[in-house]
Amino acid sequence: MKKAQEQNKPKKYGMVIDLDKCTGCGACMVACMAENNVPFKKDESNKKDSITWMRVYKLTNDEKYPDADICYLPRPCQHCEGQHGHSPCVSVCPATATDYSEETGIVSQIYTRCFGCRYCMAACPYHARYFNWWDPVWPEGMEKMLNPDVSPRMRGIVEKCSFCFHRYQSAMDKAHYEGRRDIEEGEYQTACTQACPAGAITFGDLNNPAHKVHELKKHPDAFRLLERLGTNPKIYYMSNREWVRKAGDNHLMAEKPAKKQH
Amino acid sequence: MKIDRRSFLSLGIGVTAGTTLSPLPWKLTDDLSIWTQMWPWTPVPKDGEVSYVHSVCTLCPGGCGISVRKVADRAVKIEGMDGYPGNDGSACPLGLSGLQLLYGPTAIQSPLKRVGERGAGKWQKISWEAAIAEVAEKIGRLREDGKAHTLGCITDSDCGTVPELFKRFLTAFGSPNFMRTPSCADTYEMTLKLMHGTDASPGFDVENANFVLSFGSGIIEGWGTPGRMFRAHSAWKDKKVKVVQAEPRLSNTAAKAGQWLPISPGTEGILALGLAHVIIKENLYDKNFVDNYSFGFEDWKDSTGKVCKGFKSVVTDRYTPGYVSGITGIDSGDIEALAREFAGASSPLAICGRGQGSVPGSIHEFMAVHALNALMGNLNRAGGVSAVQRADYITWPEPEPDRVAQNSLKNERADGAGSARYPYTKSLLTRLPAAINSAEESPIQALFVANANPCYTLPDTEQVREAFAKIPLIVSFAAHMNETAEMADIILPDLGHLERYEDVPTPFGMNTPMVGLARPVVSPRKGARHVGDALLLLAKQMGGSIAKAFPWTGYEDCLKKTMGKSWTGLTENGFVAKADYKPAGWDAAFATPSKKFQFMSEACGHEGKTGLGAVAAEGDPKAYPLVLIPYDSMRLSGGAVANTPFLTKTVADTVLTGKEAWAEVNPKTGGKLGLAEGVHATLTTPKGSVRVRVHFSNGMMPGMIAMPRGLGHTAPDAYLAGKGINLNALVGPVADPTSGLDAAWGIRANLVIA
Amino acid sequence: MDSALIPEGVKRCSTGKFALFIGIVGAVLLWGVYAMLLCWLKGLNQTNMNDYYGFALWIWADLAVIALGGGAFFTGFLRYIVGKDELKNIINYAVLIGFICYSSALLILAIDIGQPLRGWFIFWHANVHSMLTEVAFCLSCYFAVLSIEYLPLILENRQLNKVPFFHHLAHNMHEVMAVFAATGAFLSFFHQGSLGGVAGVLFGRPFSFREGVFVWPWTFFLFTWSAAAYGPCFTLSLTKLIEAITGKQLVGEKCVNLLAKISGWMILTYIIAKIADTWYWASVLAPAQGFTLMDFYSNNPVYGIWILVLEIVIGGIIPALILITERGRKNPMLFILAIILGVIGVSINRWVMVLQVMAVPVMPFDTWAMYFPSWQEIATTILPVAYGVILIAISYRYLPVFPQERELND
Repeated sequence: MKKAQEQNKPKKYGMVIDLDKCTGCGACMVACMAENNVPFKKDESNKKDSITWMRVYKLTNDEKYPDADICYLPRPCQHCEGQHGHSPCVSVCPATATDYSEETGIVSQIYTRCFGCRYCMAACPYHARYFNWWDPVWPEGMEKMLNPDVSPRMRGIVEKCSFCFHRYQSAMDKAHYEGRRDIEEGEYQTACTQACPAGAITFGDLNNPAHKVHELKKHPDAFRLLERLGTNPKIYYMSNREWVRKAGDNHLMAEKPAKKQH
Repeated sequence: MKIDRRSFLSLGIGVTAGTTLSPLPWKLTDDLSIWTQMWPWTPVPKDGEVSYVHSVCTLCPGGCGISVRKVADRAVKIEGMDGYPGNDGSACPLGLSGLQLLYGPTAIQSPLKRVGERGAGKWQKISWEAAIAEVAEKIGRLREDGKAHTLGCITDSDCGTVPELFKRFLTAFGSPNFMRTPSCADTYEMTLKLMHGTDASPGFDVENANFVLSFGSGIIEGWGTPGRMFRAHSAWKDKKVKVVQAEPRLSNTAAKAGQWLPISPGTEGILALGLAHVIIKENLYDKNFVDNYSFGFEDWKDSTGKVCKGFKSVVTDRYTPGYVSGITGIDSGDIEALAREFAGASSPLAICGRGQGSVPGSIHEFMAVHALNALMGNLNRAGGVSAVQRADYITWPEPEPDRVAQNSLKNERADGAGSARYPYTKSLLTRLPAAINSAEESPIQALFVANANPCYTLPDTEQVREAFAKIPLIVSFAAHMNETAEMADIILPDLGHLERYEDVPTPFGMNTPMVGLARPVVSPRKGARHVGDALLLLAKQMGGSIAKAFPWTGYEDCLKKTMGKSWTGLTENGFVAKADYKPAGWDAAFATPSKKFQFMSEACGHEGKTGLGAVAAEGDPKAYPLVLIPYDSMRLSGGAVANTPFLTKTVADTVLTGKEAWAEVNPKTGGKLGLAEGVHATLTTPKGSVRVRVHFSNGMMPGMIAMPRGLGHTAPDAYLAGKGINLNALVGPVADPTSGLDAAWGIRANLVIA
Repeated sequence: MDSALIPEGVKRCSTGKFALFIGIVGAVLLWGVYAMLLCWLKGLNQTNMNDYYGFALWIWADLAVIALGGGAFFTGFLRYIVGKDELKNIINYAVLIGFICYSSALLILAIDIGQPLRGWFIFWHANVHSMLTEVAFCLSCYFAVLSIEYLPLILENRQLNKVPFFHHLAHNMHEVMAVFAATGAFLSFFHQGSLGGVAGVLFGRPFSFREGVFVWPWTFFLFTWSAAAYGPCFTLSLTKLIEAITGKQLVGEKCVNLLAKISGWMILTYIIAKIADTWYWASVLAPAQGFTLMDFYSNNPVYGIWILVLEIVIGGIIPALILITERGRKNPMLFILAIILGVIGVSINRWVMVLQVMAVPVMPFDTWAMYFPSWQEIATTILPVAYGVILIAISYRYLPVFPQERELND
């Protein structure tokens, strides 16, 4: 009975990203683009219209030479839980094209439902949502590399990181086929987690004590982006550098960095 | 029937109401929205059975094991291969985006013959037969004219079956001019030759080192095997292994390091000697190793009987922390503290080779850095540097050159490598352009280029292009159109990295001898052929002793026969490695005349008695008050293979905006020059002048300008061509006096608001 | 030529002159239509919007015209519900302006969305939590109401009114107009509020987030209030404009004075509420999220602190003070100044609540985002203006929009 309850406990997938390990190499971004059929244009240097579900920000400590320091911060969709699943974006979508899954904690995006009002983009403080300003175009022959598990998007709609939800689905399908009710930690990993050569990203069920993220998120160096807004995101970051932890949120001049609460 | 206004209106209203109530408008609305959900121009990827192919990525010299996911006959995703030595499941962004090269528009579809001006990009498609016949005819004429030695070959490597086939072809043909593209491996190999006496490549046991001192090596910027270095770097974080990075710019490696030492560039070797000074003065070195297994530490007599200063005297006499501090710009207290910390670690590892190691560097600097490892006895043992023997699986019988070839082989190399001036150097490609340009008739009359893009990667690109223009016949074996292929007369398209078999021997930096197998993931393009097959065809066409030297039916046959018993293991696991390999013990490790590790070498006499000085940058400091330094980034491929669209997409907008490249300067320097963030400026070096945008960075040493390698491609690729500046065009080579290899770390420059 | 269509007893310019005027404005309209077609056929890459500016000029134009069109519902509310009978002299014009504003708003929305052919999903797959859903429903309903309010005016055209059916229909519709006006006022209360809510509920955007009552943020109430307050300013501005163009007095002094006075008091009360709201936000809400007021007003060309002054003082306090005083209303220059400042004030409010929300960096390592609309955006924004001018011109020429016209110009 207890076991059954345990199994029915909703999952809450999330990440812990070790910013001290992250090297800013961009492998997560590329792996994500390849896995999720993210389109590319001839010029992607305007970062304000360049679709990168996973974007690695470069943070600086604003100190002068030689005390300057750099830190890279990979930013996938934060899959905010908000209060009771009311993430900033989900509650505003007028056509229910984005949804908070109570089963996995994943914020989904239904491309064929979205009609491109972009209200969710206005709502997201992380700029994790991207609009298809153009028709996606693959040069002749290059459409061969498209992943059939993820449908290419059409012009005029919003897209974003899905935590590689198709990987969850196929892992669950496989488990069910083999007569299992659930999947192991290693069976479902996002493309960026898998690709990170530095092993900086840990992905798993934040609710499951058997998963690494369950402990990692309690690390004293762990913090989340813009926690003060109440978005309740599921991406945790870790750094032993104070300025990095401080850069995760806005602080008034007089404030010391907020004490961690778990 | 007469239609009055009333009935007309009623009819109108009736029709409107009727249509609205009928299913027609609703059905149409629905259909339209469905149509927008599957626009015919948005592709729908076909589904199919999923399979994985294990291979090795050959896009850079790193040689990472990859696992390619296929859906039916399409390759859809590249991932790192679990369990592959070194990278073990990880991969770099270039490797991960490799499918964009495979399916991209730059792949060459058939042999091409140049019809327009050289470099004009006008080509005629020809058959393989005609292409091979033409090349054979043209190089055959060279042999007839007694100019067999003027056939040159440039590739990215000198070991493995493909480079060996080229070497074999040249030997059978009668030319000594096999050239490898330069890298820090050249200088490291020479360091091992001089200090260990072995023909070996360096192996770094990064996994077990517990203190890492890097003289500008881009540990997480593509130095060595990227996947492996990234993993090691993270493991160091877990094990609290301290990394100290000495370089003038706050690179990613420097930012992640426990300590960043901003150092005047070109003085790295002096810092190493300064550290050695403290270690020796304070008796912190490994006395067992130094006393019993080394030579040249104390003063010694050379072959003429003259007393020479040993390493100890040289270092203690001159390289005091104060002196070193004055040259390097590093605080003498920091030097002393670092020396003690380094010596205090049980496995301290010192490495060098700037950035990704694409420039060979100064031999004295490398020897000085290696001497630090030797002082700590950290050679051929866990956590240290070892000399890894070259791959020994290629045991083909020596080719039998005919008389023409034998005579021709006696000629000196066109690049001067192996000459009396540079006896220890194997390849000096950076000297070739000058040699060609200064000669009446090019010493290279025909050139093969495979897996290399010298017209982009070599320093002073303009001079390289000028030299290439003087070569009567250039044959390119490029799989994808690049700057060098554009200069070719004939292109014999090679198979892409995911279309071909190839053995990948121990990559630079690996400390265990191994060989990996790159294998076709998808069926190859119809018009392309494996470079090995092309060479075999050419040999056959040449006939005689040349044809005889290649007894194989094709490259695959050659590879299988070469690998012999290992083939099964290779195809099953993707690699073969000697799991129980241990480097030789100190008593058997060194093949120098003294059979010991040599701190000092007679080879290094060219600089006079004063020992090591700083490597100066080219240019007059008055005309060029600043210094331009290149940097390497994981998001830009500076090598022979250009960036993929995905990779270019990750490039920051403070590096590239539209087609404009940005140059980094310290805000203080920029302020003095009257510059501001984002302004346009003219960057001038003795090699040329370009327009850049200015980016202020507090991570820059004042007086320096930094720009990345990997931009400024001209080869036709709508996603990359014309974007930014090729840094190699702004920097010329600086020959190391001993090795002749390029030791440039930058060039003097000026930056003026435009 | 078209004299048979012109209401009896009033003077209109010649057909040629009228045609020339319509032709010129029509050319502007066609330019807008061309830009609109570009956006529909080629997609929103025709704009300078981007992932930071998902909402831009259009959404501002949308909110602004709806606020300015607020004169319709509020005048209707005053006329039919409160019983300010005097306002019957301006109600037709107010309704016409409202109709133009709301039809423009719907048109702009149809251009603004990335998938116009799927726009109806907002009704079909409605998400009840979304303020935008509420906007869409109320907006559509209120547009229907405005159409119903505008229809009898059309039917009062001299020729159409000869048809007995139309005559009776118009008459009967007038009889029940109070019901529609009430419905309209109710709907307007909600959608004006929801438009405010669109920005006010964005708890990820500290510039716009203003907690409020139950599911409604303070912006919900402030938007309704400001539309009611400033909408009449726009109605009055256009009245003065058309009077200037035609050279006639069209609405009686008493009516204008009454509407202006009500508007003035509404603005005054609104601006007090707005100041209180801004105060609370700047001193309590934003600091709780780590922001000071000046974090939102950067030293850049568009979003300096001046914009707050312009909105509240110049576009709020000043017009309010002018309009509530008898002297201010009676002085033609001050009166015109006040209603124009009012229009500017509410437009600025809608501008910052749409665009400044997008511009302010939220992640500490993000930067201010600037934006300038493309010509296609500008053209499509001018399109409704041209359309409005044409509709007013035609309505004025052929319909009895101003019941006092004959009496005032005899």
